[in-house]
Amino acid sequence: MSNEDFKPKIVVFACNWCTYAAVDLAGTSRMQYPANVRVIRVMCSGRVDPQFVLEAFHNGADGVIVAGCHPPTDCHYISGNIKALRRYTLFKRLLKSLGIEEERFRLEWISASEASKWVKVVNEMVETVKKLGPLKPKLEVVE
Amino acid sequence: MAEEVRIGVYICHCGFNIAGTVDVKAVAEYAKTLPNVVVSRDYLFMCSEPGQDLIREDIKKYKLNRIVVAACSPSMHEPTFRSVLESAGLNKYLFEMANIREHCSWVHSDKELATEKAKDLVRMAVAKARLLEPLEEKEIETSRNILVVGGGVAGMRAALELAHYGFEVYLIEKSPTLGGKAALVGYVEDDVKGSEIVGKMIKLISKNPRIHVFTNSELVEFKGFPGNFIAKIRVNPRYVNEKCTLCGDCIPACPVEVSNEYEFGLDKRKAIFYPYKGAYPPYYVIDSKVCTFCGECVKTCKHNAIDLEMKPQYLDLRIGALIIAAGYDPYEPPKGEYNYGIHNNVITLFQLERLLDPNGPTKGNLIIGGKVPRRIVFIQCVGSRNTTPNSKPYCSRMCCLTAIRNAIRIKEMYPDTDVIILYKDIMTYASDERLYEEAGKRLVKFLKFEEPPKVTITEEGLYIDVYEYTIQDEVRIPTDLVVLSTGMVPRHDLNELIAVTRVSCGGDGFLRELHLKLAPVESPTKGVYLAGAVTGPKNIMESIRMGSAAAVKAMTLLSAGKVSIEPLTAVVNEEICSGCGVCVSVCPYEAISIKEMDGDRLAHVEEALCMGCGTCTAACPSGAMQQRGFKDTQIKAQVLAVFGGG
Ligand code: FES
Repeated sequence: MSNEDFKPKIVVFACNWCTYAAVDLAGTSRMQYPANVRVIRVMCSGRVDPQFVLEAFHNGADGVIVAGCHPPTDCHYISGNIKALRRYTLFKRLLKSLGIEEERFRLEWISASEASKWVKVVNEMVETVKKLGPLKPKLEVVE
Repeated sequence: MAEEVRIGVYICHCGFNIAGTVDVKAVAEYAKTLPNVVVSRDYLFMCSEPGQDLIREDIKKYKLNRIVVAACSPSMHEPTFRSVLESAGLNKYLFEMANIREHCSWVHSDKELATEKAKDLVRMAVAKARLLEPLEEKEIETSRNILVVGGGVAGMRAALELAHYGFEVYLIEKSPTLGGKAALVGYVEDDVKGSEIVGKMIKLISKNPRIHVFTNSELVEFKGFPGNFIAKIRVNPRYVNEKCTLCGDCIPACPVEVSNEYEFGLDKRKAIFYPYKGAYPPYYVIDSKVCTFCGECVKTCKHNAIDLEMKPQYLDLRIGALIIAAGYDPYEPPKGEYNYGIHNNVITLFQLERLLDPNGPTKGNLIIGGKVPRRIVFIQCVGSRNTTPNSKPYCSRMCCLTAIRNAIRIKEMYPDTDVIILYKDIMTYASDERLYEEAGKRLVKFLKFEEPPKVTITEEGLYIDVYEYTIQDEVRIPTDLVVLSTGMVPRHDLNELIAVTRVSCGGDGFLRELHLKLAPVESPTKGVYLAGAVTGPKNIMESIRMGSAAAVKAMTLLSAGKVSIEPLTAVVNEEICSGCGVCVSVCPYEAISIKEMDGDRLAHVEEALCMGCGTCTAACPSGAMQQRGFKDTQIKAQVLAVFGGG
């Protein structure tokens, strides 16, 4: 497939309180961004099990974003974001060993007012993934 | 056998908001092809009464047991549709929303792509809906006691409102007196002084049997959940009891002298002292940080009012809600900023207020070095608006008005004194604009700067160099007095309070409201409310209003006598749990513990403490821990559905 036909799919796990609200705000502000993202709402970034991310890549995601409230203090549940931060710092290294380019995964902190940051992150991600081309995963998902 | 899943899907046009970009008919047709979908419709406004009726009728007619509405954000109408389910006899948690407005039609203009995405979002919602389970909200009785931290105007106002409506209030204040900073400032309206407002409030509070005041007291522990918090208060010893008559005989006896914080360092006080005239409670207090406990004061006291053996006391309070009104600190310029702390004739706005106060160190006379200054220059935005390297980025809101008010008063008192205000921008918003005009009429001079002025000390006295923006030229102004219009900064000890209460602060270091417009005075923790300048620069009127607002929010929470808890809590599958304890270590609420059960180690969730973040679920290595409403299977189904599966 040529680069033009490639319509990447990007799965986003967004916490209810900051990032999901920022995505809403981007909507109410009528900002425009590529239609490649599919947002899954969780209560906190701390809820996002790396399994979900692997599952997404395994099933055809070309990029995955996990996003929540700014550390250290913005998390609605005190420190869920810190737990996510620790977890995904480790996880990034694992991705490489699975043959997935690190750039296909992003951990982002986007507060409820940062609609423009959300748009920027989406634009960058779509751009990056388009450059990398589709991910043909040879993943062994450890169930 | 499990009940057959029967899903109804409703695609909202939202007028043209969605239907203008998304082919809603195509999406509704598409939804019909998804497994378990029994009925799928599109409608002009799903949230309208007829839209809601449509769902109710279908639930009856088609025996639906899951509902998906594709419309706006769940933050907008999830509660609306949940109550539709409830009114039709379905558990309200058997509902899922697909956000095809904020997340789709409003942000993508390409009709084809937007329609394709809407179909995906509906498929994802249906996939989750298929696995939803009924959940029960729990109701818990609530306490009618409310704790207010901070005895300034905001906290006192909140306490008065609450007591008026029959709530028991514990009003604690860290310093030895109620009143806060407002008690120390001058005129806050044309003819009303801060101390007068404070005095009136104190009078009402001291007579109100429902308000229990604890000064010299701090919140040291805070746990529990909305409606049922446990707060531990430490009441630090005052060393002076209520037999004190304020006679003052102890003062000459005390050998320790320190700078007086109630006069912003303009004069000295002893280790035993009475903060200021009108301070409440009306007893002396010993500052244990500087007292040497020599006992001289005890010998002079005829009333047996001094007891150096007093110990801290601890109170455990069961409270329904907490209001934080801990106030702010005045910005203290570092030594040398505009020559502050080096030359005595460079003072802050707060010090000026004390000099103009009849109860202040100069009895209200503006006497500097023995004489009335012939010229006074105010420098605005000191500590604010990134003016100097040390400054905060924000505007402190009250300094312009306070400087101008004082400038007018000085002109009234000493018409021959020249008053100049060096400013970046003047902020006298709303009706206070008239004071700006009034100052002009009284020949107060305003000079605008962009680069901070320079204060220089010479043998003959002080002068200021400033590049005046309007005339675009250097100006040199000799002056007798420089007043730095210092702003507000977060309390130096605010972090301790944040650590105890787990509220969050914004980038400026002040406590942050959940949402300035949609959830004002609420903190991110339900049951904890914020009032006054602890949330950022406020004037006295604004702080008082916030105190009232926080009181109303707290009463709203507690007036029903019970609260219901969102059931998105964690639940353990005891068959699988190995008791490894990872969940215990990641839980931010200490809601999970490991319990010994018939020789097995098992995780146990204290549901009343669980706030439903799901961090434990993500961390559980065996999948034994699950979050209700966000189970692994439910989220995975959504992931698969992105790619057509699920
Ligand atoms: S609630 Fe947003 S990251 Fe925890």
